[in-house]
Amino acid sequence: MDREKAPKRPVAEKGEHIIARHMVEDENLREEKNLVIDGVDVSGRWNTFILSRVDSDFDRSFFREIKKTVVGSRINRCWQCGMCTASCTVTPLYRRFNPRAYIYMMQLGNLREIKKYIDVAWRCVGCYKCSQKCPKQVNPAEMMEALALLIKKYFPEEVESKLKDDEKVKKIYDDMILGNGRLNLATLHTKSLREMGRGMELFSKVERDAIFKMIKDGRAFSVLMLGKSSGWSKSRKAIEKYLKNVEGMERIP
Amino acid sequence: MPEEILVIGGGPAGMNASVMLSEIGVNVTLVEKDSFLGGNPEKFKYKFLFPDLQPAENVIGELIKKTGNNSKVKVLLNSQISGFKQTGNKFDVAIKSPQGDENKIFNSVIVATGFEHFDPARDAKYSYQLFDDVIDIKDLEKMLGEGKFLRPSNGKPPRNVAFILCVGSRDRHVGNQYCSRVCCVVSVKQAIELKEHFPESDIFIFYMDIRTYGFFEDLYWEAMEKHDIQIVKGRVAEITSGPDNTVVCKGEDTLLRGPFEIPFDMVVLASGMEGGPQSLEMADKLGLEMDEHRFLKPRNITLSPFRSNIDGIFLAGACTGPKAISDAITEGAAAAMSAHIYAQKNP
Repeated sequence: MDREKAPKRPVAEKGEHIIARHMVEDENLREEKNLVIDGVDVSGRWNTFILSRVDSDFDRSFFREIKKTVVGSRINRCWQCGMCTASCTVTPLYRRFNPRAYIYMMQLGNLREIKKYIDVAWRCVGCYKCSQKCPKQVNPAEMMEALALLIKKYFPEEVESKLKDDEKVKKIYDDMILGNGRLNLATLHTKSLREMGRGMELFSKVERDAIFKMIKDGRAFSVLMLGKSSGWSKSRKAIEKYLKNVEGMERIP
Repeated sequence: MPEEILVIGGGPAGMNASVMLSEIGVNVTLVEKDSFLGGNPEKFKYKFLFPDLQPAENVIGELIKKTGNNSKVKVLLNSQISGFKQTGNKFDVAIKSPQGDENKIFNSVIVATGFEHFDPARDAKYSYQLFDDVIDIKDLEKMLGEGKFLRPSNGKPPRNVAFILCVGSRDRHVGNQYCSRVCCVVSVKQAIELKEHFPESDIFIFYMDIRTYGFFEDLYWEAMEKHDIQIVKGRVAEITSGPDNTVVCKGEDTLLRGPFEIPFDMVVLASGMEGGPQSLEMADKLGLEMDEHRFLKPRNITLSPFRSNIDGIFLAGACTGPKAISDAITEGAAAAMSAHIYAQKNP
């Protein structure tokens, strides 16, 4: 019987003494370690607060901020028809990736909602199907860039923690493009897995089968033959210069 | 003997019918229950008209002038129809007016009794009349006409304003299932006017559908694209008092699927149109049919929207359903033509 008993928890779980705890979302709970209100120490049970679950403000300062950027300048045009999400390449893969909803959240300054989507919100692949089809010429594809900038500005820690792997892959990708002027998918794949600490997966059956298949149809050799683009060092300099400027332009004031 | 035609109601439709008839030499008697011509636009001092924001004076003022200074049109203000009888193809009408009672035979009759603004006080959820800062579009139209843009409660500029659409329309709860057609575009127009006056304030429109039909859509696009007016999808279920002398709109954002309770400095209710007691009264006296929406019923809604169920009695303007001023004016002309033809064919 003793073995079945749960081990004693060293720290209390968030809001565990709330009777209807299942009705409160984690992010709506606030607990301070040492809280003093009006000179009274309210540590312990009394310092659990449940945030309002109702939206009680439309923060338009946010909308104005987005509107000032080059990529987000048409945010005022959106009337939420959903053509962007309907035409999106990514939504069928990530249901939670919804450009229409993200634009709306930006319009209403609903950072609390946006925060829920930090992991997927910047999965836009930049195919521009949405921008091509948008009846109001909102340019949703670039609006997703505005969103990414905004998430980076307002939620730096979340981006840091939730998008750690993505940042690593991005660096490998950037280095590869800048270094060689070419994308070598095989290298990107192996390097990324290794960088994420999943190097062992390269020896799994799926990977082995894939490599065998590529050797068989000859693709493996063409991959190995991929070198630098000719005269790349000149292009590289120009691109680096351009990127420097873009970084300056994109920054939200 | 020249034709005699009776026009009941001195709004845009009635006035235009009278002017048109007078121009082809018909003698017109225009009976108006109020003490002025111009109907609701004049009563509530409409200042600028959608969609082009031209001064109402250009339209209503012009019609009043043409009707008032017209030797062919006998305008009877503060007047009532006290008796109505059909004799052969003609109509024997008793009119009660301050100039004395009279009985007159008319060749045909045009009914243009217009509409009444829905009274939002009838729908308790909007707390109209409970809070000074909850007003409706007719109140705001009057305020804008008088050059008052400030909050009714404290005379300060509003920091944020909410427009709530479909008040008294598309709602079984108040008995009106129909769309009042013009409240969307009126709200959008007023939002633009407010925003032009207070560029710093934030304006939101709570909507279920935005029905700025036809070219009125241009005004809606302009409101969003030029004036940054924000539309929020969801109807407001409750208006309560909030902190710092605000009023709180409680509703659901149906796109985000979340409840909101947002404090506003001013809330404008886009109240719709109703047939009003005057149309009911005319239906009783003249024997006209009413439809299920309590407007007068045209004989054939598509083929002859200006013809009533009785030969020789014609309908014009908002008494047959919610419509824009331009439509009322067009119908006035159509009814005038039909009334004239009837009089010609039935001398």
